[in-house]
Amino acid sequence: MTDQTNVKFRLNNSELWGGLIGLGLGAFVIWSGLKLKLGTINDPGSGYVLFYTGILMCVFAASIMIAAVTEGGPTFASRWENARWGKPVLVIVCLTAFAFALEPLGFLLSAIPLMLLLLRVIDPVRWSLAIPLSILAPLGMWWVLKHLLAIQLPSGMFEIG
Amino acid sequence: MDTLVNVAHGLGVALLPINLLYCFIGVFIGTLVGVLPGIGPISAMSLLLPVTLSGTPESGIIMMAGIYYGSMYGGSTTSILVNIPGEAASVVTCIDGHQMAKQGRAGPALGISAFGSFIAGTFALIALMLVAPSLASVAIAFGPAEYFSLMVLGLVVLTFLTQGSMAKALLMACIGVVLGLVGLDSITAQPRLTFGRLELIDGIGLVPVVMGLFGVAEVLLNTEQAIKRDIIKTRINQLLPSKEDWKASAGPVARGTVLGFFLGILPGGGAVVASFASYALEKRLSKHPERFGHGAIEGVAGPESANNSAAGGAFIPLMTLGIPPNVVMALLLGAFVIHGLQPGPLMISQNPTLFWGIVASMYIGNLMLLVLNLPMIGMWVQLLRLPYNVLFPLIILFTIIGVYCSSNNVFDVHVMIAFGVIGYFMRKLGYEPAPLVLAFVLGPMLENNLRKSLILSQGNLMTFVERPISAICLAFALVLLVGPLLPSLRKKRELVALDEGA
Repeated sequence: MTDQTNVKFRLNNSELWGGLIGLGLGAFVIWSGLKLKLGTINDPGSGYVLFYTGILMCVFAASIMIAAVTEGGPTFASRWENARWGKPVLVIVCLTAFAFALEPLGFLLSAIPLMLLLLRVIDPVRWSLAIPLSILAPLGMWWVLKHLLAIQLPSGMFEIG
Repeated sequence: MDTLVNVAHGLGVALLPINLLYCFIGVFIGTLVGVLPGIGPISAMSLLLPVTLSGTPESGIIMMAGIYYGSMYGGSTTSILVNIPGEAASVVTCIDGHQMAKQGRAGPALGISAFGSFIAGTFALIALMLVAPSLASVAIAFGPAEYFSLMVLGLVVLTFLTQGSMAKALLMACIGVVLGLVGLDSITAQPRLTFGRLELIDGIGLVPVVMGLFGVAEVLLNTEQAIKRDIIKTRINQLLPSKEDWKASAGPVARGTVLGFFLGILPGGGAVVASFASYALEKRLSKHPERFGHGAIEGVAGPESANNSAAGGAFIPLMTLGIPPNVVMALLLGAFVIHGLQPGPLMISQNPTLFWGIVASMYIGNLMLLVLNLPMIGMWVQLLRLPYNVLFPLIILFTIIGVYCSSNNVFDVHVMIAFGVIGYFMRKLGYEPAPLVLAFVLGPMLENNLRKSLILSQGNLMTFVERPISAICLAFALVLLVGPLLPSLRKKRELVALDEGA
């Protein structure tokens, strides 16, 4: 870690934001626990464990934040230093698009473009390999699942597959 | 005598052609995922969890167990030949294994790794046969307070051993408990944190969470950097270690085996901890510690034996107490639950066919692995040449299908992708997913036992300290929680802290 990244209290300190998210989640869990009713110690209710786990979450998150303020910590930029951050973003975008297309388009019509994109966009594989692989892999899987394991994958509005 | 009769009975089950086939599939896939960097036993087991539904419980669990101990064998191949650990327990093998390969001694490194693994695996099985029934008979007396405290200890040990800040690991464990509580309350049947979604009434599935946090997140992390592989190009011959190699390795194999077994039993421990501990022990005991890091065969023999022995030992808490000591065992617990079985103290007496069948199959699996990993080493080396840019889209496709098949629900695919993104950011910000997953599995059991013990004791919290086993577990957990505040213990923790990611 360089001196530039290990700075004292700065707003772009990733540890601070991590702790803050934890604190927010902890507060939400405490609220959910209260809403579900704590019950008594003789007869704990549905929210009992949630409530106390939420308190523990807040304690741990606060200790992360205190450490971030007193000891400093890496910035967001340093966490992605020397990383090709655009590549995972692309994969996430492709997967999100796939997740939304899966039900309306069906498995085959959504998986084939997904495979082609992943094979060509991240670290491009030559077309002569990418095209057959992106068609044959989903098709092969679909065939095995449908005919050998009797598992029906989504066929979508076009009822393909 | 009883044990021998039971083993014979178990062999009868394990030698059934269908179980032999499942055992072979398990160890083959285990070796495959061990060899391939970027996909570990956790991803493979979660992927194949739905497949276990198609056969008998014995067959499914024999296959899942095979994946776990098979990956321990396969992981060393990648470490030695490519200097990239195939899975987390083989990280330490890279240090001396790859140096040996560079010096033209890849054969003996691979050989001692396979033989050491076999010896350790055999010892672990014998110990498992002897220890498990006795421990199960003791565990029958365990009440909810003991179970609660044991689970707390397991979670604390895992957070203690997790890389980085302990506060972060504890926060992850708490989030895991909360996620595990999503769905209907097992006592009052009240829906919790379901946000009105019907899909969440039964809770969040283990498979999408694990596949997201380990499978998808790992792919996202790997796509960030161009993976360069430096595969040893020389021909691998002379796989059998020489007399000198055996002489140097005998002690490390024996020590690694015993150490690994006990570390495997400990809640929160497992193969990764065992391999690191064995390496540290061998280096400390060696008359020439300066050889370590430069191709010392002891640095391969010890850790490889330890991680296999630990893989066997880890079955003990699951089979006898019903408590998974690590994430892999949590997945195996998932396989039991899918078949309506509850591992625990009564399983050995009520379902001996299953228990002894699994144990016997593990021995057969170890023999299969010896054949798979020595004469067929060339095949695995060829597989290492598969480029990652071709491999990762296939991994993603497998994970999507695996998750969909586990529930026949597109919602779970969305959950997996969401957890993949969360897992990626968690790893980037230094939050390890292992405590979250173990807590996710233990969360409902933890809550159930806490509430039961409070109801039974009429709200008397002293019940947790009045019962000796519970008190010892909680005291040990407290030491580990408070310990890192002391500078000397903090240093020790940093030395053993591990990345359980892969």
